[in-house]
Amino acid sequence: MITCPQPTAERNACPDAGRGLVASLVLLLLVALLWAVAAGQGLRVRRLREAEMFYRWILSEATGSRVFDRGPYDLSVPGTEQMMDSALLKSIEKATDPVLPEVALTDQDVDAQGQPLSKLVRLVRDGTNDRLLWQLARGPVLQQQREDFFHYLRKKQLETVASVFDPNAVYAGEGGANVSIGNIFFGFRKIAANFVWLQVDKYYHQGMMHRMVPLMNTCVALDPHFVDAYLLGAWHLAYNATAHMIDTPEPLKKWYPKYKARLGDKELYYYMGIDFLKDGIFKNPRNYKLYFDLGFGIYKTKLQDYANAVLYLSEAIRHRHDKWVPRQLYQCLELNGQYEEALAGWERYLKENPDNLVAPRFILRNKGLMKERAAEQAQSRAEETEDPLAAQAARVESEDLENEARAIWKEMNEPFAEARLLRLDALKCIQEKRYVEAIAYLEHARWESSTFFDEATDLIIQTKQKAGIPLSKSEAMAVIRKEEAEKYEKLDQEQLEQDEREAAARAKPSATE
Amino acid sequence: MSPIESLLLTCGAVGILVILGVIASVISVSARHFFASSWSIAVYTWREGMRKKTLIGFLILSILVIFGSSFMTAFLAQTTIGDLESDVDLKLIKDICVTAISIFGVLITIFISASVVPNEIENKVIYTVLSKPVRRFGYLLGKFIGVQLIVIVNLALMGGLFFIALYFKQRMWPTLLLWSILLTYFQFLIVSAFTFAISCAASSAVLPTIAGLFIFITGNLTEYLKEVYNRGGQSGAWFDEAIRKLAYGLYQILPNLQNFSLKDEILYLQVNDPPRDVMIPNLIAYGLLFALAGYIVAYVVFWRREL
Amino acid sequence: MAAVIETKKLCKVYESALKGQDVRALNNVDLSIESGEIFAYLGPNGSGKTTTIKLLLGLIFPTSGEMRIMGSTKIGRPAIRKKIGYLPEGAYYPDFLRGEEVLEFYGELYGLGGKDLRKRLGAVLDTVGMTHARKRLIRGYSKGMRQRIGLAQALLSNPEILILDEPTTGLDPIARKEIRDILVRLRDEGKTLLISSHELLEVEMISNRIGILYGGVLQTCGTISELLTNRDVTVEIERVSPEALAAFRAAGVEPEDTYEQKSLLRLPEFVSLYAAMDICRSHNVTVIAVKPRRETLEELFVRVVGKAQDEERKGALR
Repeated sequence: MITCPQPTAERNACPDAGRGLVASLVLLLLVALLWAVAAGQGLRVRRLREAEMFYRWILSEATGSRVFDRGPYDLSVPGTEQMMDSALLKSIEKATDPVLPEVALTDQDVDAQGQPLSKLVRLVRDGTNDRLLWQLARGPVLQQQREDFFHYLRKKQLETVASVFDPNAVYAGEGGANVSIGNIFFGFRKIAANFVWLQVDKYYHQGMMHRMVPLMNTCVALDPHFVDAYLLGAWHLAYNATAHMIDTPEPLKKWYPKYKARLGDKELYYYMGIDFLKDGIFKNPRNYKLYFDLGFGIYKTKLQDYANAVLYLSEAIRHRHDKWVPRQLYQCLELNGQYEEALAGWERYLKENPDNLVAPRFILRNKGLMKERAAEQAQSRAEETEDPLAAQAARVESEDLENEARAIWKEMNEPFAEARLLRLDALKCIQEKRYVEAIAYLEHARWESSTFFDEATDLIIQTKQKAGIPLSKSEAMAVIRKEEAEKYEKLDQEQLEQDEREAAARAKPSATE
Repeated sequence: MSPIESLLLTCGAVGILVILGVIASVISVSARHFFASSWSIAVYTWREGMRKKTLIGFLILSILVIFGSSFMTAFLAQTTIGDLESDVDLKLIKDICVTAISIFGVLITIFISASVVPNEIENKVIYTVLSKPVRRFGYLLGKFIGVQLIVIVNLALMGGLFFIALYFKQRMWPTLLLWSILLTYFQFLIVSAFTFAISCAASSAVLPTIAGLFIFITGNLTEYLKEVYNRGGQSGAWFDEAIRKLAYGLYQILPNLQNFSLKDEILYLQVNDPPRDVMIPNLIAYGLLFALAGYIVAYVVFWRREL
Repeated sequence: MAAVIETKKLCKVYESALKGQDVRALNNVDLSIESGEIFAYLGPNGSGKTTTIKLLLGLIFPTSGEMRIMGSTKIGRPAIRKKIGYLPEGAYYPDFLRGEEVLEFYGELYGLGGKDLRKRLGAVLDTVGMTHARKRLIRGYSKGMRQRIGLAQALLSNPEILILDEPTTGLDPIARKEIRDILVRLRDEGKTLLISSHELLEVEMISNRIGILYGGVLQTCGTISELLTNRDVTVEIERVSPEALAAFRAAGVEPEDTYEQKSLLRLPEFVSLYAAMDICRSHNVTVIAVKPRRETLEELFVRVVGKAQDEERKGALR
């Protein structure tokens, strides 16, 4: 071959060249056009992803404001005063109010300040209106709020944002942790979360609780939809970490303004578990398991806080749930003294599951408890009233109700019913001042049914005090503990009031700014 | 709309498209020739590609990982609290399998997309094909469809195995997995189209393979440009501002593979998640449009290429 | 006869990214191939034969110049390509397929299908003598069989023009003979063949016209009889005595290939046969044969290429 030294003049002589140029230009134009269309679709997808983020934030925030009482923030945490979550939600509530359909307002729909909840918050309490909210979140009604949302997000003025589609949005609001976690793993961050979890599991078996906690947080930061990590993590905190701890004596407990409570070591871990689960609920507001574990696992079992247990368990049954969830709720309702609700629940449950064996027993149990309570109320009415006729009528009514309750307990024929019968007998004995007999009944009753143990023990102490019978050593200790607890409860109340005053004082100057 | 309904709807839409295509090709004889020759090139590419040793290797590896993922959970074996343990188990298996399908799938996609045209040039089959009454557009179309057939078959094999494995693990048809695999395919489609475009300019498969890996990695990092945009411009210097603007511009036009992260999440979403139902068709359209752009780039590169 | 393939001032420059490294592969090539002939396109490696063929097939694009195939300049059009069969040099055929499957694939590219394809396939396999092996995998084919399959795919559309790049390279003599026979038969059927080769002996046997390409320039082009005009006479002699040898030398004839008293005289133009005969007679040398001798294609090739190389060298020196 010959190398061609001189530039050739006839190169342009090719007749094809000009046409090729035009065709190339047309093709390039086509590429540009198609690329633009594709980028346009990309923009659309991006807008949808943003709307999705916004949608999930509204869901979390609405759930939070309804369930967690996210009223005034805890201003002792630095940076909190800049947070715009509540203000933005207020603005969204206002904007959506005219377009949302009417929803009936029940007496439960009030926030911590006693104000009725907004329509939006009430609408999204379960999954049925998600589609509507999604339309609003990407529609023109909330355009301004959407823009604000991204503005605050960039300024890190939102607490928690969890998006399914945008891994970077997780923890976007938490100042220091704003690493593009998703980018580090080229989109394989879920698998990374799994490996972190394996490490957590290893530490658990080695008993290194202090190492588990930060890793658990890393794990859910990598994969905020790892529900089982939240569940197991909270279980580790509330159960495994506290299993070998001893109860902190009352005077050594410390006041935690964040939890508005005085906590010992054990209780602190319970509250850490609660926080962990609440974080999980924020990121997965439609998963019943988190509410269930919060209500049953911690509030009921560990803290015996039945009111909160009822609150979270009734959240759990709003979403797709397993069969045992409502049963647990009705039991908590019963423990919280809401016999009517529990009864209604059990009856509904029996209608839906006619083969269930426990439901009929619990129906009887709640009926019996209601009768007992009615009898006691009639009794106290009889004691309070001045009119002897009315008192007599009340007494008769009380008698009748008590007999009905006895009939129910007899029909039930199980340890719990047996214990209730013995308790009724004991009360009758106390009324007739046959204290020793009453104590004997109660002693029998408290071994009959474990659920009745504490109540029976308290009654025995009261009876002994009334009759002037000396208390046993453990009973005396129990009395002292109770007195101490009451004293600290009073102190707690004062501390709480002081905290609130301080918070209000701090909030004022910032409000006037 | 339930996943099954959407699946049926998609199948229906695809069916209608296929029927329309068949009718159109029956009407026009030249078009029929065009599609017929493209189709035979596609089938030929498929038959040849399925015999590639690297591809079979990746396939075997991914199958090993899918089955091996069950053993990974042995690390968790001592944790026993009711069904929670098995849930973590299941999640681990799901994540490992989805990731394995992603990684091996994308490797298969890149290797195949990068090699079909350069290999054909190397062994000179392209001369016998292009000297036939086949237009270059049709040739490329056939090759591209052939690549897609290979990718789809491989993905179906891996996904099918995973599907069956998951069924035996949880005794429930994992329908959401099908959506995940579908989205994975459309993510691969973008990678495939651009790798293919580069391979049309290359004379060996090495460079386009590296480029394909690069496309996959940077495509997953596009999201990072947004971060640059959000954080840039703070110093006020002109170049800082310029980089910020450049990052924003690139973020607007480059394909963002992280958009498909839904495919990882879809297995864990609640049953009725409204954004998901809107996102899936949009992501499919996104994948198709970028793939079309990539294919046209391939044609631009190839139409006057000297062989 | 009309020219089936025609090029005018065909130039092809392979541009390089580096300045001054452009390679001029073809320079003002004027080809004209008539219908129904076998045109042999000769030249050493890298002379531009394959470039010309690729240009004719539209695989690459000319820098300048004009090409016509059957009168049309739009050579990339499927209608034109349908009339051309092409066998590339050293092409690969997928060895996981059967012989007939490969042909089916190529047939589909021609738009053939169903019954037409079957019929055509049978005919083509018959032509190349591969009917017996049609169901075997390509993997088990010998080199000659592969080449025949290649030829078969070029023949599938029953093209009027066949372009064959090195059709017999690397084959054994029997396979070569068979391929050659097939080519002659095809010519006799009225097809036009363009064969690129450097197997000169073979080309001489079958081709009608040849063109010799060197350095991208068509050095010479014409029918065999036109090009190989130089004739001389050789005389085979026996019992050559040293005196006879001296006498021949004195007359300006150098006896060649002297072996056991046998020798060969190649007579230059200025020595007449009669003079040589006289010397033979006078020295009692036995004359075995007197043969007219035509220049071989090889000699022509070496002469043409050698001349071109000399000029090139001179040009480079200057």
